[in-house]
Amino acid sequence: MQSLTATLKRLRYGLAASPEVVALIIFLVVFVFFSVAADNFLTPVALSNILTFASIQGIIVVGMAMLMIAGEFDLSVGSNLAVASFVFALTMNAGVAPFPAMLFALLISTLLGAVNGLIVISSGIPSFIATLGTMLAYRGIARAIGGGTFAKCTGPKPLLFNILNGAVDSLNQLFEPVSNFRVSILWFFLIAVVMTMVLMRTRFGNWVFAAGGNMGAALAQGVPVKRVKLMVFALTGLLTGLASVMQFAHRTSVDPLRGEGWELIVVAASVIGGVQLTGGVGTILGASIGILLLQTLEQGLVLMGVPVQVFRAVAGLILMLSVIGNTYLSRQG
Amino acid sequence: MSNGTNETPVVHMENIVKHFGTITALDGVDFTVEKQQVMALLGDNGAGKSTLIKILMGVHTPDRGQIYFEGQPVRINSPRYARAMGIEACYQDLALVNLMSITRNFFLGRELARKIGPINWLSMRKMNDLTRAALADVGIKIRSPAEKVGTLSGGERQSIAIGRAMHFGAKLLILDEPTSALSVAETRKVLTYTLNAKERGLSVIFISHNVRHVYQVADAYTIIRHGRKVGTYAKGELTEDDIADIIAGVREC
Repeated sequence: MQSLTATLKRLRYGLAASPEVVALIIFLVVFVFFSVAADNFLTPVALSNILTFASIQGIIVVGMAMLMIAGEFDLSVGSNLAVASFVFALTMNAGVAPFPAMLFALLISTLLGAVNGLIVISSGIPSFIATLGTMLAYRGIARAIGGGTFAKCTGPKPLLFNILNGAVDSLNQLFEPVSNFRVSILWFFLIAVVMTMVLMRTRFGNWVFAAGGNMGAALAQGVPVKRVKLMVFALTGLLTGLASVMQFAHRTSVDPLRGEGWELIVVAASVIGGVQLTGGVGTILGASIGILLLQTLEQGLVLMGVPVQVFRAVAGLILMLSVIGNTYLSRQG
Repeated sequence: MSNGTNETPVVHMENIVKHFGTITALDGVDFTVEKQQVMALLGDNGAGKSTLIKILMGVHTPDRGQIYFEGQPVRINSPRYARAMGIEACYQDLALVNLMSITRNFFLGRELARKIGPINWLSMRKMNDLTRAALADVGIKIRSPAEKVGTLSGGERQSIAIGRAMHFGAKLLILDEPTSALSVAETRKVLTYTLNAKERGLSVIFISHNVRHVYQVADAYTIIRHGRKVGTYAKGELTEDDIADIIAGVREC
């Protein structure tokens, strides 16, 4: 009996070493549930929709996860997304070629991310308050530059749009009905892998963990904590900008409410994936499973004909379940 | 052993005065640490121990007084400057990142990396090997350098901070209440590492409010009370009880 409890304890410690394990278990449960309960769930159309929708938000999740590991977070990503899309659209409509217009939009979103970082590190106010403020401010900017209305890309789709987020037709046409795999899935995968390597295998990544894990100890060892945090804020802005131009390349229009509420979905995905709000713990893999889980949930419920409002209730439930699971695993003793 | 006074002291602080507003934290304190000496800095809470050490670490600047490091007058205006001279402090809470591995803590801020363009690619295997070797060298055995620091005991954590300071060439090691939260067995380990550090040529300042924590290892004791130095005593000059009484102010000296 004693050896059994000891074995269970060791298993618990083993699982606690991988923060994504709870999210993975819940994901598998949800996936199996919909496979049985929802018609048309295990079809190329449904699965490609999950991946395509998850990939755009997933790119922002990568930034948010890194930011939360560094001990901060950013509520302004949804507003930043709208600003970047408007900048992209309006710059192109003003006659600028698509590629420089995209670079300009990415520059703006990176700057907006860096402004968040500057406010937090120079004033010392919590990032919750600072980015709540910029969430409202950036939304105001999006409305102002858009004149409070839609902006869309007129004329034929430029080649850049296909590179950013074209439909993968050669794959989609294989299925009947036609599936919805898009290039953004590939970009998301690439970004997640590269950023995981940055986080786990570079000096900068080491400093990100240290800044969030114990800021005093990091400072005492000469880690430039403020610079590290500023850079992760800017990186989150850049990744938000990338998600924005990819989404625009797909939809070719943007409205003033674009991205509203995304900040909470993205934070929720990270937390479900085992990233801790208190900093120092988390993986990009876990956060990515988190956003995949939320998209699977939404698509599955839609396929079951459940009213879409229920999605948020279930998402909230899963958020709490995963945090309780992670707290149990990481408990000492 | 070279505890003789004929050598230049590692650190000599002279007539240090520090005010915080209307409060006088230090009122003309002299403090000297010889080479390869374990100096206990004793005093009750609020006596001025940590103010004195923070001045030495460059966290505070003194209002008056002069500091000599290895005989040279110095102005220590930042912790970074203090570290560059070879002064390392091991604070209880600020020493290590519990959520990171032993290796990542050991090399934090001094990571070994290959430069690939703008990227510093960590040489993890090399750092793991060096961490294990360096800690073994100072008498600290670890299970795995990849283990998270948070899973270690308080004494093991202290020992890793001490081992790190020794490995990176500290000349003066400051231990701030290193044993106050430890069990008897753990305390004994930390005291052993302190002696190891001394044998390897380091000087140690051991800060405590309780003389029983340091009596066995200290070569000398400096006692401060209410921002003034009561005195410095060599080992054996006073008994444990005498020192405890002086710290508490039960007895004047």
